[in-house]
This record gives sequence, C-alpha cells and structure tokens, in this order.
Amino acid sequence: MMRFNPLPLVRADLRRSRLLAAVTVLLIAISVATGIAVISQERALRQGSARAADDFDLLLGAPGSSTQLVLTAVYLRAQAIPLLDADLLLQASGAAGVKYAAPIAFGDSWQGHPIIGTIADFASRGATLTPTQGRLFQARGEALVGAGVDMALGAIFSPAHGLHLVHDDEAAAPDAAHEAIHYTVVGRLPARHNIWDSAILVPVEDVWQVHGLPTGHETGSAKIGPPWQASQLVGVPAIAIKPDSVAAAYRLRGQFRTARSLALFPAEVLNDLYLTLGNVRDLMSALAIMTQVLVVSAVLMALLVGFLARQRQFAVLRAIGASRLYVFSVVWIEVLLLIVCGALIGSTLGWIGANGLSHWLQSQVGFAMPVRLGAAEALLVAALVLLGALVAVLPAWLVFRRPIAQGLVSG
Amino acid sequence: MSARGELQVRELMLRFAGQQRALLDIANIELQAGSSLGVSGISGAGKTTLFHCLAGIAKPTSGTVRWGGVDICALSGDEQARWRLRNVGLVFQDFHLVDGLSALDNVLLPSYFDHWQPSATLREHARELLSVVGVTAMDRLAALLSRGERQRVALARALLLEPAIVMADEPTASLDPDHRRQIGDLLVEMVRKQGATLIVISHEPELLKRMDRCLSLQHGSLQPSADVP
Repeated sequence: MMRFNPLPLVRADLRRSRLLAAVTVLLIAISVATGIAVISQERALRQGSARAADDFDLLLGAPGSSTQLVLTAVYLRAQAIPLLDADLLLQASGAAGVKYAAPIAFGDSWQGHPIIGTIADFASRGATLTPTQGRLFQARGEALVGAGVDMALGAIFSPAHGLHLVHDDEAAAPDAAHEAIHYTVVGRLPARHNIWDSAILVPVEDVWQVHGLPTGHETGSAKIGPPWQASQLVGVPAIAIKPDSVAAAYRLRGQFRTARSLALFPAEVLNDLYLTLGNVRDLMSALAIMTQVLVVSAVLMALLVGFLARQRQFAVLRAIGASRLYVFSVVWIEVLLLIVCGALIGSTLGWIGANGLSHWLQSQVGFAMPVRLGAAEALLVAALVLLGALVAVLPAWLVFRRPIAQGLVSG
Repeated sequence: MSARGELQVRELMLRFAGQQRALLDIANIELQAGSSLGVSGISGAGKTTLFHCLAGIAKPTSGTVRWGGVDICALSGDEQARWRLRNVGLVFQDFHLVDGLSALDNVLLPSYFDHWQPSATLREHARELLSVVGVTAMDRLAALLSRGERQRVALARALLLEPAIVMADEPTASLDPDHRRQIGDLLVEMVRKQGATLIVISHEPELLKRMDRCLSLQHGSLQPSADVP
C-alpha cells in the first residue's frame, strides 16, 4: 500500500490545465487511431479478399495477366479479357480428378447486379451450399440470386447488356435490355460476404444465347450443363475447377498451364498481392510508429514546458513536507494518465475508423472486410504506453532534482 | 509548548562558490520553544535566505541549525522534508495554494504526503481551522478565493498538523491594510494558542511589535542593536 496519495494533486493539475490536457489526449488519440486503422484495415483487406477466393480452387483463363483473371472471375471486376478456347472447357470437364469445371461467363447485369452464366454445380459449390430459399436452377430461364439481391422468388426480369461494377471501364456501361429473354428467380443462396452475394447466377447456356453464341448443345435444345458439344462452343472467359484432391489440383494446374491457357490458384495471386500489401503495411506501420514517436515527443516537450513553469508549485510541495518521490509521482502519473487516455480513446477511434473504412471499401471492392483488433494493435498501444511511461520519467526527474529554494524564487 | 520548537543556530554561513561576500553570516541565534521571533531588514538583506536555512530548505555552507537538538543541516533532502512535515508549518507571501484544489483540500494537502486519505478527525480539524480563520466557502476552488481568503487558507494549512514551529515569510506583504492586520492577528493568536515557536520575516512594524524578539539583518549579518529581547 502506498504511504502517500498523489492523486488529489494530479486531479487538481489536470483540472487547472484541462485545455492542455484535452489537446494532449487528442493528439495522442489521433496518432494511435491512425496506426490502428492502418494495421487493422490491412488485415481486414487480406482476410476478406482471401475469404472471397475460397470458392475458387483452380482458375483457368486465356494467357495474359493472372491478376486480371482473378480480379475478373473472383471479384467480378468487369474487364474485357480474352476467351479460352472452347475445347479447353471440354478437356477440363472430362479431366481426371475434377469434381466440376464451371464456365464463368459475364456480360449482363440487372440493376447493377452482375449476371453470371455458369452451372448448377458451381452455384452449389459442389453441393456444399444449399439455397436459403427455393432451389438451384434446373432449366433455361431460371435464376438463382445471391443473398444481397433484392428480388423475391418468382420475380421475372430481363438482363441488360453490360456490367455496372467498374464505372471507368468501357465494359461497364450497360445498354439496352435483352428483352428476348426473361429469367425467373427460383432460389436464393446463403450469404458469402463477398461480391457473389450481389450476383445473379443463371445457366451459362442462356448467357451464350443472349449474346448470339452457340449454347454448347444442339440448336433448339433446352438442356443445361455439361456435357457440351465441341462444335457448339466458342469459348469462355474463365473456368472455375473444383479438384477432388490437393494432388489433383497441382496436377491440373500443370496440365492446363500451357501456351493456350493460364491455370492458377487464386490464393497464389493473392499471396503476391499480400506480399505487396505486407510491404505497404510495414511501411505504413513504420510511419505510424514514427508519427507516434513524434507526437509523444512533441506532447512531452509541451508538458515539460508546462511542468517547468510550475516549478514553484512543486518546490512549495517539497517545502511543506512532500518527499521527492511524491513530487515525482505527481508528474509521472499526470503524463502517464494523459498517454493512457489518449491510447484508449485512439484505440476506440481507430476501431471505429477502420470499420467505417471497411464498410466503404466493401461497397467498392465487393467483399466484406471484418475488422478485428489483434496482437499487432495491442502491441502498438502497449509500446506507446511503455514508451510514454519511460519518457515521462524525464520531466518527473527534472522536477525531482531541482533545489527547493531555487524553485521557490522562480517565476 | 514542545521542546522540538527550541532553536539553536551556530556559525551559520551561506556563500556561493566563487563569491567573496557571504549571503548569510550569523554567529548565533537562540530561541526558546513557544516564543516568537521577528526578522526584518531591507530587500536583499538575506531574510528569505535565513528563512530557507532555518526551515531546511537551503543548505548552508557551514554551521548548524538545531531544532530541539536535531541538526537539520545534517539531514538528507527527504529527511528534511519529513522533518518539516512533522514539525513545521510554513506560510508564504504569495500563499502558494494549489489552484485546482478546494480550500478544504488545500488545508488537507500535507496529510496526503504520508497518508492515502486524511482521517475523519483530521478532516474535522481542517474544517475547524477554516472556520477559525474565517473561510466559509470551504469547497470553493482556491483559484476563486480572494487574496485575503487565500492567505487564511494558507495559515490553516500551516497549522493543520499542529506543528511545533510556524515560519512565515512576509505573510502580510501582499495584502491590503485591513487584511494585513487581520491575518497578522490570526497568525500570532493561533500560533500562541498552539504553543508553537513562531518566526516571522516581515517589514510590517505592527506585526513585528507583537513578536517576543526581533532581529534585523543587513548584508546577511545580524545588527546587534536591533536584537530586542
């Protein structure tokens, strides 16, 4: 148990200089909030993007940019990408170790929701997803909506040509509706917390037909899904392959990594992005820490000036019987209290800011980015408080060692 | 009266390094416990320096200051602070209250130096002291008190722990004439009532007249003619 109580003095000093205390806490809070927002947002982006790619084990596309292929097929960032030769879809469908090979065909939308032509197996992710309402599509003209599409079962709509998602892309501008085709909503998928929640899945044959392409089956056939006829196919933008094992995944990637096709694990592409993000995060973290050090230093300098201006008060305390430790404690606790308050408020602001940013980014990139405070943020705050506790010793020590008589006559 | 209030000063000298003239050069002062001593002198005569040496605030170059047989010059800084806390009540010209504390908490302030909370008895004693010195707004912040009230609170603070010695440095110098007389009266009466030794540094003839003895300082030395037993 302490044999003295510096808190009444600390409270009185903070009350007297409440403006300085408030500004100090605010500066520290902003500095902490920035650091926490950067770190937690980067983590949320990484986790959110990784979760969005979970449904894509192996992705096939025409030779070109792997990043562009992932962005287009996984994150539905509409861009004009070259088509894969049709026979590759057949090869993939029939390859050993493949659970399903799903064409991913884009081009249309409904009120901003991308319409994706694919197969029922992909819609159910190989029978691992069950619609929360209705059923999977089973015939031409049927549509399965994502959890975020505001359309009831039984609703009928016509697609518009073009996608809305990337406004600066020429592929993005929607134009006239394909009035020749109507889709009926027959099911709703559970929430995946990614861009696919706002997508509408339809049989790929319908998308091909809408664009005047062969449907993969005999002319006039209402059949959907594989097997398709080579003579009735012209190509697809991407194929999502579900291998039946890890070994099969690697074998298939090797098999389709040719001059005619690009085969990749989206996770690999994301890893490259994460490396870049990681570098950015390290840079941002370093900047955040540097900002914190600068803010804490500036704040401490201001506090030091304030304490030196109050030399006479501390000298009086010593003169009327306070020990050096008592005076030291008053100064040290005051500084530490401001830093701890700033750190706590900053943590809260950082968390709120990161959530706000995450919410905004979600509407931009299409996948949820859950913000959680982790060890890195805790370490950041702990380091700041520890640094503050150590640096606070300086003004406390300066006040501690000043002779009483000198302090009493100081202005 | 307490024997702790008996003062013996011997060969007290304070000189800064490299300076020829001593700031203080006093051969001998003796004061009985419970008596009062006034110290006067022009500005720069060394009154405040003597005050600091007698209170253990400044360390003399040589000599001894014994209070009740304890040579306070031989104590460490913290021992001196502890000694002051238990034996001395100080009153300053500029009051030196903590603006962010109430009048009552200012009086109780010394009790926080060696206790977590003042006892109920001490708190009651602080209230009584404030009543005696005429401060009724006990919960008002010190910053909001008038100068006269502030010096009354400072006087109550000095007397809280019933010290054997009360030392006041120009306690009335920054007050208007009415308050000067009132505070002077309160100081002398309350200290006498407690049986404490009183040392007052002052220019005020009215206040000095009420002391048992007066010393006059000039250039850091006592003027023999001014020592009036």
